[in-house]
Amino acid sequence: MGKKYVRVAVDAMGGDLAPAEPVKGAVQALERRNSLHITLVGKEEVIREELSKYKYPEDRLEILDAREVIEMAEPPVNAIRQKKDSSIVKGLRLVKDGSCDAFVTAGSSGATLAGGQLLVGRIRGIERPPLAPIMPTAKGPVLLVDCGANMDARASQLVQFAQMGSIYMRNMAGIENPRVALVNVGAEEEKGNALVKEVYPLLKECEGINFVGNIEARDIPAGEADVVVCDAFVGNVILKLYEGLASMLLHKIKDALMSTLRSKIGALMIKPALKGLLKEFDITSYGGAPMLGLRGLVVKTHGNSEAVEICNAIEQCILFKKKNINGQFIESMGLGRKEEPKEAL
Amino acid sequence: MDMEFKKLCSIIVDVLGVEESEITPDTTFVDDLGADSLDVAQIIMGIEEEFDVTVDTEVASNVTTVGQALELIKNATEE
Repeated sequence: MGKKYVRVAVDAMGGDLAPAEPVKGAVQALERRNSLHITLVGKEEVIREELSKYKYPEDRLEILDAREVIEMAEPPVNAIRQKKDSSIVKGLRLVKDGSCDAFVTAGSSGATLAGGQLLVGRIRGIERPPLAPIMPTAKGPVLLVDCGANMDARASQLVQFAQMGSIYMRNMAGIENPRVALVNVGAEEEKGNALVKEVYPLLKECEGINFVGNIEARDIPAGEADVVVCDAFVGNVILKLYEGLASMLLHKIKDALMSTLRSKIGALMIKPALKGLLKEFDITSYGGAPMLGLRGLVVKTHGNSEAVEICNAIEQCILFKKKNINGQFIESMGLGRKEEPKEAL
Repeated sequence: MDMEFKKLCSIIVDVLGVEESEITPDTTFVDDLGADSLDVAQIIMGIEEEFDVTVDTEVASNVTTVGQALELIKNATEE
């Protein structure tokens, strides 16, 4: 019997910095973990050229040639159906047929989301698989479910998001009893649109989660919840505002610090403290955004992911497998058929 | 019940998690079975895989009932 590896497929062609950063990230992950096997998916000659820069364990790395690349602007479903020789389709198929446990990509979000559902498929009983990125807060990480997969979610789907998010954060972030909150325009139960008014009592009655009520968007950065539940439309607005506001503030602070000689001297004095602060907000250590509820793991990282983020996303896949997160979804949520999922990933 | 219909039902049940008894040729994917566009795409891909055929994207986008999907299978396998 050969050694039992966690097998991760990595999209070598996905993202703004491909193939250099995904390949480098894959090599770094192999250096860190002996129990890891990686399949790099993409144009073989391009991958080989990148790999020639590194020393790596050849027995734990293979290449799957894929001649096409799905571009960011392509209609996702059509791209998945038509570009069968693309790195995303071939990578997702490796998860579907059980050759790999997980797939990591920095490529097209839309194609990844559509392909995750179309090719890998949902765990039986999961209504919709959400995309769930981690965001930094004043008190640690928060999981935002959903931020991109289900624009018009139903109440029952949001309940599943809450359950999966809770299990994910308990296992992956080590939060014993994650606080689950529902995004709303006020803290009171009777506030909100039709969807959240329908979801609130369902979450209140839902066993196995620590529902703490509604959360207003301004309380998310303060760290008032560990799992924040909403439909993808709301989630995507929150995520993009979060990123945009943080970027704008950082630029403004930088401009102000560089504006006069006095402020430059001040900047020099506070530089170490600022660096420490920024490190606190660095959530790349948590990897990428998982698509929860699929029959394997699909992780979407930022389009401009560097090697460190790819490497951490691969580590995230290893932990996901070791913690048997999908098995926990099935058991805790009463889902699935007995034979699912393969290897209980 | 012909073989194509039986196989199609199996794909629909697998994708949508509905009961086979709910499916007739007149059943609509969206209104009767609660499917969305991604579900329908998944069913079309299931058809392509099961029957080893390629369905034109534009043809696929016009499929709204089980009967139309069945027709599509028959046309594709006859070609």
